[in-house]
Amino acid sequence: MNRDRLLLCLYLAGILAATLVHDPVWLGAGLALVLLLAGGDALRLLRRALLAILAFNAIISLSYALMAWWQDISPWLTLVRLNLRVLLLTSLTFLFIARANLFRALDFSKGLTYVLGLAYSQALTFRRAHEDFRLALASRSLRRPSLMDRYRASAAAASWYLEKSLHAANQSAQALRSRGFFHD
Amino acid sequence: MHIPDGFISPQTYLPAYALAAGLWGYAARRVHRQLDADTLPFVAAYTALAFVLMMVALPLPGGTTAHAAGIGLLAVCFGGWMAFLAISLVLAMQALLFGDGGITALPINALAMGLVGSFCALAAWKLLTRLHETLALFLAGWLSIVVPAALVAVVLGMQPAIAHDAQGAPLFFPFGLSITLPAVVLPHVLVGIAEGVLTVLGYRYLTRLRSRLAA
Amino acid sequence: MTERRYRAVKNSLIPTPPFLKGGRGGISTPSATPAEQNPPSPPLRKGGAPVIQAAGITHRYGAKEVLADIGFSIHPGEKVVLLGCNGSGKSTLLKILDGLIAPTAGQFTYDGESITPARLKHPALHHRFRREVALLFQNPDAMLFNPTVYDEIAFGPRQMGLTDLDQRVRHWAAQVGVTAHLERPPFSLSGGEKQKVCLAALLALEPKVLLLDEPTAALDPRSTGWLVDFLSGLGVTTLITTHNLSLAPELGSRALVLGEDHRLIHDGDIHGLLGNMELLAAANLVHTHSHRHGGVEHRHSHVHDWQ
Repeated sequence: MNRDRLLLCLYLAGILAATLVHDPVWLGAGLALVLLLAGGDALRLLRRALLAILAFNAIISLSYALMAWWQDISPWLTLVRLNLRVLLLTSLTFLFIARANLFRALDFSKGLTYVLGLAYSQALTFRRAHEDFRLALASRSLRRPSLMDRYRASAAAASWYLEKSLHAANQSAQALRSRGFFHD
Repeated sequence: MHIPDGFISPQTYLPAYALAAGLWGYAARRVHRQLDADTLPFVAAYTALAFVLMMVALPLPGGTTAHAAGIGLLAVCFGGWMAFLAISLVLAMQALLFGDGGITALPINALAMGLVGSFCALAAWKLLTRLHETLALFLAGWLSIVVPAALVAVVLGMQPAIAHDAQGAPLFFPFGLSITLPAVVLPHVLVGIAEGVLTVLGYRYLTRLRSRLAA
Repeated sequence: MTERRYRAVKNSLIPTPPFLKGGRGGISTPSATPAEQNPPSPPLRKGGAPVIQAAGITHRYGAKEVLADIGFSIHPGEKVVLLGCNGSGKSTLLKILDGLIAPTAGQFTYDGESITPARLKHPALHHRFRREVALLFQNPDAMLFNPTVYDEIAFGPRQMGLTDLDQRVRHWAAQVGVTAHLERPPFSLSGGEKQKVCLAALLALEPKVLLLDEPTAALDPRSTGWLVDFLSGLGVTTLITTHNLSLAPELGSRALVLGEDHRLIHDGDIHGLLGNMELLAAANLVHTHSHRHGGVEHRHSHVHDWQ
C-alpha cells in the first residue's frame, strides 16, 4: 500500500470516527489533533475551514438557537457539538487534500485514475473558459444586462461546454486507442 | 443543495453509500455496454461537463443568480446512467480535490441529484417530447431540481428522529420535516423555473448548432 | 456627492479624438454626426495626455504571481503591441485594463480617470468606459451568445439607444465582411468568421481604445493578412497581444515585452526590439537550436513562428 492510499484510509476512518463520537470534548480533541498534524499550516487551515462553513452553519445555528429559546430548552450542547463536528470534518478534509495525492491513492484502478485525471484537467480548462464567458458579458454590457440576455449568455455557455466536451471525448478516445491503452 | 459534512448521521450515509456503490457498478456496466472502449474518455468528458454546468449562472429576476445544476441537460443529451455517473464523479471531485461539499453527504447528493434527478428529467422528456418539446424540456429542468431538493429535505428532516442523544437533543441536522420541507423545497420550486428555462434554451442552442454544422 | 462625481466624469470627457482615419473608404458609420464626418486630423502621437496610464500593476492568483510591477502609458492613436510568451500574463493585463479584474496592487487610469471594478459600479463611469474601451477575448466563443450575427453586432449599440441602429449594424457587418451571415447564429460560423463578428460587435460601439487578445492566434494566413490590413486602417488606439514575433511589426509601431518573470522588460520602438536577440531570448520569444547548412552545424537564435 503506498503512502497516499494509507492516508486515504486513515482519512476515511477519521471521518467515520468523527461522526460516531458525540462528546464535544472528544470532538474538540479531534480538532486539536488535526491542527497539530497540520503543523505550521494550522492557522491557515482553520481559517479556510471556518470560512467554508460560515454561511451554512451560521444560518442553522441561529435558527436552532431561536427554536430552542421558543421551546425553552438549552441549545448549548447541541450547538457546540454540531459546530465542532462540522469544523473537525471540514478541517480533516482540507488537511487530506493538502497532504495526499488522490490520484496516487486510487492508482490501484487504472480506469479510475484515468477518468479522474482527465475529468480534473478538463474541469480546470472549463473553469478558465467559464471565467471568460462571465467577463465577456460584463465587458460588452454598458448597462446591467437584461434577464433575457443573461439567459442567452448562460445558455450559450452551457451549449458550448456540451459541444466542447463531446469533441474532447472523441479526441481522448482516439488518443487512448493510438496509445494502445486497452492492450497492455 | 450542497450539504457540508457533519449534518448527516452515519446511520444514513453508510447505507446510502452501500446503495450508491451498487448502483454505480450497475451504471458503469450499462454505460460500458453502450460505449465499449470509449467508456472512459466519455465518462471523463461528461464529468468535466457536469462540473462546469454547475458553475453556469442561473439568472433570477432582479439581477441575482443561483447556480445551475445542468442535470436536465445532461440526462436528455446523454442518458440517465451516464448523468448519474458524471454527477457522482463531480461530487467526488468537488469533495476531494476542490474541497467543496462533503464526503458524507456525497452518496445522498449522488442518489438525489444524479440518479433520481436525472431519471425524472429523462421521464418528463421521453413522455412529453412528442406532445410539446419546449414543455418537455422545461419540465425536465424543473423536475431535476425540485425532486432532488424534496428528497434531500426528507433526508435532512429525518436526522433528528434517526440520531438524537438520551435527552432527545439532535446529534446531526437539528430540524425536522416540518421545517426542512418548506425551507428547502419552496426556494427550489422557483430556482427550478430558471433551470427549466435554461434547459430549453441550452438544448435549442445545441440542436441549432448541430443542424447547421451538419447542413 | 455621487451626483457631483457623475458631473465630474462627464466634464472630464476630452474632446473626442477622431475615431477613425480617412482613407479605406472612411471607416465610420455613415450616419455619424457631421462633426465626426469631417476629415479627421492624424492620430495624436505623444501629444496631449495619455489615454491609458498604468503604474505598479502587480497581480497574483493565489500565491502565483502573473504580473509584477507593470508601468507604461499609451497616448491617443498609438498602436502598441504587447509581446510575451504563453503564461507571461498578457491576457490578465488586458482584463485588468478593461476593468474586469482588480489587480492585487497598482492602478491604472483611463483618460485621467482611475478605473477599478469597484469604481465601475458607478453607472455613468461604467457606461462611458464600456462604450469607449473594448476588449476582444482570445476565445471568440466566450463573446458570442446572441441568436443571430445581426443581434450580436447590435447588442452593444442597442444599449446606447441609437436611432441609426440598423444602419450601424449593416455598416460594420460590411466592413468586416460578414453581411452574408447576418441571419445565421454566430455559433455556426468558422473560427475566422466568429473573430470578425466579434470585431464588428465591438467596433459598432465606435470605441476609442481597442484591446485585442491574440487576435491572430486562431486565424489562417489569409485571415491574418486581412486582419492586419483592417486594423492598420482603423484610427483607433490599439493594444494588441501576440506571441508571434514576425507579425508584431505589422500590428504596431511600439512594443511592450513581458518577460518570463512577468515584468515589463522592454518598452519602445518595435524595430529596435527585433534586433535584440538577447532580450527576445530572455522573454522566451525566440529559441536556439542546431542547424545544418551544407554539412556545417552551428547554433543561433531565431524565430519560425508562423502561428
